[in-house]
Amino acid sequence: MIAVEENPQNVQQADIVVAIPTFNEAAFIGRAVEIVGRGLREHYPDRSSVIINCDNHSVDGTREAFFQAPVEVPRLYLSTEPNRRGKGANLRMLLEKLTALNPHAVLILEADITNMAPVWVRLFLEPVFRGAAYVTPLYVRHKYESTLTSTVVYPMLRCLYGRRVRQPDAGDCAFRGDLVGAFLNAPAWSEAVDGTGIDVWMGTVALTCRVPVWQSLIGSPKRHRAKDPFAHLAARFRNILTAMFDQMAAYAHLWTRVKWSKPTALFNLDGHEMDNPPLVEINAARLHQRFLEGFPENESLWRQVFDPAVMNKLDEIRRMPYEQFTFPSQTWAAVLFDAACAYQRLENQERPRLLDSLIPLYLGKVVAFVKRTERMSVQQAEDHVEETCAIFEEYKPYLVDRWPS
Amino acid sequence: MAKILVVDDEEHIRLLYSEELRDAGYEVITAESGHKLLERIEEEKPDLVILDIKMVDYDGLDLLQDIRSRFYDLPVILSTAYDTFKEDSKSIAADYYVVKSFDLTELKKKIAMALETHLPG
Repeated sequence: MIAVEENPQNVQQADIVVAIPTFNEAAFIGRAVEIVGRGLREHYPDRSSVIINCDNHSVDGTREAFFQAPVEVPRLYLSTEPNRRGKGANLRMLLEKLTALNPHAVLILEADITNMAPVWVRLFLEPVFRGAAYVTPLYVRHKYESTLTSTVVYPMLRCLYGRRVRQPDAGDCAFRGDLVGAFLNAPAWSEAVDGTGIDVWMGTVALTCRVPVWQSLIGSPKRHRAKDPFAHLAARFRNILTAMFDQMAAYAHLWTRVKWSKPTALFNLDGHEMDNPPLVEINAARLHQRFLEGFPENESLWRQVFDPAVMNKLDEIRRMPYEQFTFPSQTWAAVLFDAACAYQRLENQERPRLLDSLIPLYLGKVVAFVKRTERMSVQQAEDHVEETCAIFEEYKPYLVDRWPS
Repeated sequence: MAKILVVDDEEHIRLLYSEELRDAGYEVITAESGHKLLERIEEEKPDLVILDIKMVDYDGLDLLQDIRSRFYDLPVILSTAYDTFKEDSKSIAADYYVVKSFDLTELKKKIAMALETHLPG
């Protein structure tokens, strides 16, 4: 719900809406607005546009920085009530506003991207003007960046919904204005979606709408505030899996009929990679330790959730010395498939415990991924991710057979 | 019977694929270059295209983009003598790829998968 709206230029309609969700981003939003403003002026000078700051009632001067940025594009500020947090809450508010603005194309960009360039506005929006309904970026990524996407989100969404969208939860996307209604009416909105589950949720809604989904090659990494990939992991992991598993229940009539997968259309194929991704270092030995520590705490729950053959395999993996550590993708797929089925059978209050118990296993899978790909180039590591996805697709009947009717 | 269009500038590959895939129960048509490929697809309406990446006059990856922009969901399998093409991001628009071989087991498996792919609308 929109608690605060400031619309000093009284914008009632716009062809293009660029939305920047924030919570205490005063240090970054001014630059983001400037870059977006330049992008709109350079690439879409003849289209009416507005930049919207969707804020969580920031207290650091985000709103003031947003309005003070020196651009000519009209601006509109929305905020949730003071106690409502999360990117999903921001975007829910945006979707409500979009029904009034009736835009042709919408672009969502995070505020703290430090290497955003004006051309990004075109790279996201142009596919929409050429027929795409939903556009996700293909940022240049280091092989260990976004391991949650590489090992969970991408393989799961691809095998469930049948489209190969490599970075469905990148945090930035563009979509056609007529998808707004689909987002507003889509099922499985939850507290998790109010938070960091929003990106997976939106991507899934778009995939289930059976509209053209494109990927746009950005040619650069997404550089943002330095973040430890494993900080706040528990909350992110829980939100993302909650969104994914809730949507599996809502869309079971669709995904149980999907077999194998298909590529998407691509945009900016002639673009060149201009920048190397920042190095991501992972302390695999430490993650391995956390994997092992997960057993005493979670083993009894796992024995109720996982097929006995899966549990035997996990026992085997646990006994492997670190030097020879591996976590086969078939076992990983079965872990996620069994967990998705168990999640449906559990009461709401029991579900977070199940999701939290999967974190040590996820860390084990990351260790195996790091060890398997440590001498590989980015491209070779990418091939390994593709092989994992093919295993998930091949193994999907296991999930369909066990899915609670 | 599914119809497969084989696009390859090497005659022996067109012959090999045609013979083996016909034996496997497919209808096969061939093209020796990318010349007027989109028109050919429009006219023949194949269920799947096997596309050579490196032809003398045509770049298969560029042809793949042309196919994808006009026939969004037409299955395309890239066929290549080298797997270095994966460094070109254009290749991810293909459904599958195979490295050329006289043993067509892998190709037949990918054809079956591509033709079985089902996304309910």
